[in-house]
Amino acid sequence: MGSLLNIGSRALQANQAALQTAGNNIANVNVPGYSRQKVVLTTVPGQYASSGYVGQGVTVQTIQRNFSEFLTRQSRIAASAQSADATRSDKLRQLEAVFQGGAQGLGASINDMLNAFSDVASAPTDMTARTVVLTRIDETAARMRAASQRLDELQTGVTQELSQKITNINSLATSIAAVNEQIARTNGTGQPPNDLLDRRDQLIKELNQYVQTTSIAADDGTVGLYIAGSQELVLGTNASTVALVSDDFGDTRSSKLAILRAGVPNTLDENMLGGGEVSGLLRFQNNDLNEGRNLLGRLTLGITTAMNDQHKLGLDMNGNVGGDLFSPIVLGTSNVFEPKGPAALNTGSMSGAAAPTLSVSDQTKLVASDYEMRFSGGSFTITRRSDGAVFTQAQVPPSPTAGPDVIAEIDGLQIHNPLGGAANPGDRFLFKPYSTSASNISSMFSTPRALAVASPVAATMGTANTGSLQQISVSARSNPIAPASLGVVLTFTGSNTYTRSDQGATVFTYTPGQAIEATVTGPPLADWSLTLQGTPAVGDTVTVNTNLFPTLSSGNATAMMNLRDVAMFDGAALTDGYAGLISQIGIRTQSADYAALVSASIATNVERDRAGVSGVNLDEEAASLLQFQQAYQASAKMIQVAQNIFDTLIQNLGR
Amino acid sequence: MANFVRLGSANAYDTALSNIMSRQTSLANLQENLTSGKRVVRASDDPTGAAQAERAITRLARIQTDQRALEAQRSSIAQAEATLGDVNMALQNFRELAATAGNASHTSLERQSIANQLKGYRDQIFALANRQDTNGLPLFSALGSALTPFVGPQGLPQDYTFAGQPGQVASNEVSIPYTLDGDRAFMNLPARDGVFNVSLTTVAGAPHELRSSGVTLVTPLPAAPSGLSSNSTYAITITGVDTTTVPGTTTVTYDIAENPNVLGPFSGSSSYPSNRPANIAVTAIPGLSINVRGAPVVGDVLTLDPRPSVFSVLDDAIRDIGNAPNSNAAMQAVGQALHNVDIGMSRISSVRGQAGDLLNRADRISSNQEKRSIQVEGDRSRAEDLDMIKGVSDFQNQQTGYQAALQSYAQVQKLSLFNFIS
Repeated sequence: MGSLLNIGSRALQANQAALQTAGNNIANVNVPGYSRQKVVLTTVPGQYASSGYVGQGVTVQTIQRNFSEFLTRQSRIAASAQSADATRSDKLRQLEAVFQGGAQGLGASINDMLNAFSDVASAPTDMTARTVVLTRIDETAARMRAASQRLDELQTGVTQELSQKITNINSLATSIAAVNEQIARTNGTGQPPNDLLDRRDQLIKELNQYVQTTSIAADDGTVGLYIAGSQELVLGTNASTVALVSDDFGDTRSSKLAILRAGVPNTLDENMLGGGEVSGLLRFQNNDLNEGRNLLGRLTLGITTAMNDQHKLGLDMNGNVGGDLFSPIVLGTSNVFEPKGPAALNTGSMSGAAAPTLSVSDQTKLVASDYEMRFSGGSFTITRRSDGAVFTQAQVPPSPTAGPDVIAEIDGLQIHNPLGGAANPGDRFLFKPYSTSASNISSMFSTPRALAVASPVAATMGTANTGSLQQISVSARSNPIAPASLGVVLTFTGSNTYTRSDQGATVFTYTPGQAIEATVTGPPLADWSLTLQGTPAVGDTVTVNTNLFPTLSSGNATAMMNLRDVAMFDGAALTDGYAGLISQIGIRTQSADYAALVSASIATNVERDRAGVSGVNLDEEAASLLQFQQAYQASAKMIQVAQNIFDTLIQNLGR
Repeated sequence: MANFVRLGSANAYDTALSNIMSRQTSLANLQENLTSGKRVVRASDDPTGAAQAERAITRLARIQTDQRALEAQRSSIAQAEATLGDVNMALQNFRELAATAGNASHTSLERQSIANQLKGYRDQIFALANRQDTNGLPLFSALGSALTPFVGPQGLPQDYTFAGQPGQVASNEVSIPYTLDGDRAFMNLPARDGVFNVSLTTVAGAPHELRSSGVTLVTPLPAAPSGLSSNSTYAITITGVDTTTVPGTTTVTYDIAENPNVLGPFSGSSSYPSNRPANIAVTAIPGLSINVRGAPVVGDVLTLDPRPSVFSVLDDAIRDIGNAPNSNAAMQAVGQALHNVDIGMSRISSVRGQAGDLLNRADRISSNQEKRSIQVEGDRSRAEDLDMIKGVSDFQNQQTGYQAALQSYAQVQKLSLFNFIS
């Protein structure tokens, strides 16, 4: 009877615990990271009586936390990858918005600017047409600057986000270390500290949202967390600190994540980081944003340099040589980087004030990339970072016409060693030629008279010509033109041969529509270029001389318009350069979008599986509430029965 | 281990909600496509399409610019063509008026008055040649010229000059030149056109009739250097008129001086029946021929003066007709004027024909460009515009799907075992 009471009360307690657990599950149904708990009931071993073992009821063995180590880990990694992809995709969408197409885009303003020269070509003396050109130039410069500013704003945003997220990583790492300590302390009790474990898993999951970690459990119940494969972030009860540092070259625009060990930063490559928002942001900053900046910088550098150069080949309304239309882009010290500590510093004398400098030698060959130059024992290699192509010294010799201080010429860029410094093996330089091009671009003048649309050179056909020669174009290649190249008379000796007054009796071949250059042995081409069509008669002459009537000439305006078709950006015409830029950024954004979609769908699936094990199902809990409520009621009935039996016994005894 | 029929309630809600949200997003995107009419709203929607569209927009802007420039060119050339027409008409009037001056009954006063009228035409023609287009550019500036391309009259020998660079700019696929070659239209070259003014200096005191035809070129022309290439003046002096050596036949001998002298001097003689007026074909000058008629007297001089432009011809006519001392001189002047004006008119007509050709070409370019414009617009539209029918149908689909998702979500959310526990 006493044992029946005992069994009853034990059963009451056990079922109450079960009800309580179900209630706890229901209460925590929406708590992130909560793992459903289950009461594990076990039979109290029976007591031996002569008639055999009499059951002693039920007891709660433990409260079991339902979880799958494997699924939890998978879900963590998938979520980490998803947050990296989603972050990069978000940022790329912002980058994409900087480079709009259509009438509001930079491309439209470049086109409008070049097309505006058409009206000047129609009416070189029309001040309105000239003013329109100036306004368009100003507008283009403004749009280039605006795009550059928006890239800078994006950069600022990324930097701020990175520093916030790194603070979060550090505080999460500290919390995890603290929870590790609490878990280690409860290690001796024999019962798992379910809620602490949930809490730690949730913290690790949150940490993985920022940076992917790998976890290895220790015997004492603590978990070690490692980032970038093997760098320990949390080990037992100790947490390391991570920080944002600039790269080897001290370039603030390409920061890296570093883990501090005894105060010394150990830089981690973002490609090793795996998932997490920080790696997504770093990848965006160091690849996508950098590429966007390089593309914009190259567009700006190419177009403004080409236009400035062409404009200088013209004469303005006062007969003066044209000046700069855009502020000239000078590649200076902000485009050349040397390693900064803690990276190994350069040891050669080619450093500091004697560091190499950059200049543009051919704006039609530029490639939107950074370059890294590395010396090794007297020679060097240059790595083009956009595609990783490596050029040895022999592959990038300076052209014969380059200055004596040019040590290499690559992709339309010249690398100078102005002070003749020497480099030691291991010395490195980083060239970022396009990083600053667009940030300070502006239009240079506002006087319509100073627009140099006249050509300094003109052709005159002999009045006695009887052939059908017509002039397609005559344009200057240098300004002023060398006197020796002026007054050159081409005398045709046949329908496809001619002699030149400055070349003696040498007979040249005339091909209609093909340019006749002042420079017979080129390049570089200088002075002038003449293109004729039609068939000359024997004795027909064409004289190339100074333009005697520059005020009504619009030869240079036509030459400016012809820039539209110059193959400039990876072989595409100047006016198509922007379309290429849009599609390059578009492709990046699109692939990041796809990656984000795929990793989101993987993360969702894995998370559903994890929740299938660890999540609370309300219907299930309702069922178990009913189940244990009935059991509880039955146990109570058991006690009532025991009481009735006892009462019956007492009453009978009392008679 | 994992029980894959089990669902975490919170996760189920989350998943359902996120699905609903993504449906809403795609519905909103479709709506954006429909309202903007564009399939490619952002470059990432279709990077290739976006680049194609951007290039097409560039081409369209380019075609518009070219067309606008072509309109300006067409208007300039049309104006030049019309101007040449006006010039020809004025020359025609000049010619008719000059012809009347040849009437032998005119007094020198009447000739003077005709010369004054002729002067009006000459001024008109000169002004037309220097006409400018709407943008203030000379219509006949060739490869470049001063604002007023024709300058004159100045001192001899070159009394009118073309202040410009002769030659013609070529047309290309999208444009025609702005200007015509004024040098070719109005200026003369002895070797090309053979425009000479032949003036007479007859021996005084013995009135006699002497006239000449206009100068014509004789092919083959002498190779340069020759008097033709050096702009030489020729003076034909009658050195002998022999009527006695051969009875009934008159033989005229003459010397020809060339200045500057290149191949000369020349001399020659010619015979004709004495009972008829003289008709002497002077062929001694290489490349030139001239007929002298009338009754030459020893000492008569015919001066052949190369005239550099049609304006010079007009000036000669005005001067020679106005100052003609007698009807013989007047008729000579009229004959020269008619001959040389005809040459000028034919030159102008040929340049005018060229202008007409350019205008035809402008029409062709224009219609080509319009076709191209339509084609490029089609390219752009294909690259970035939304197929509306497909768009609307997709939108309907999405809308139905979204509605179904919302309804099913609401219904499933209502179901719970707790509803049945009382």
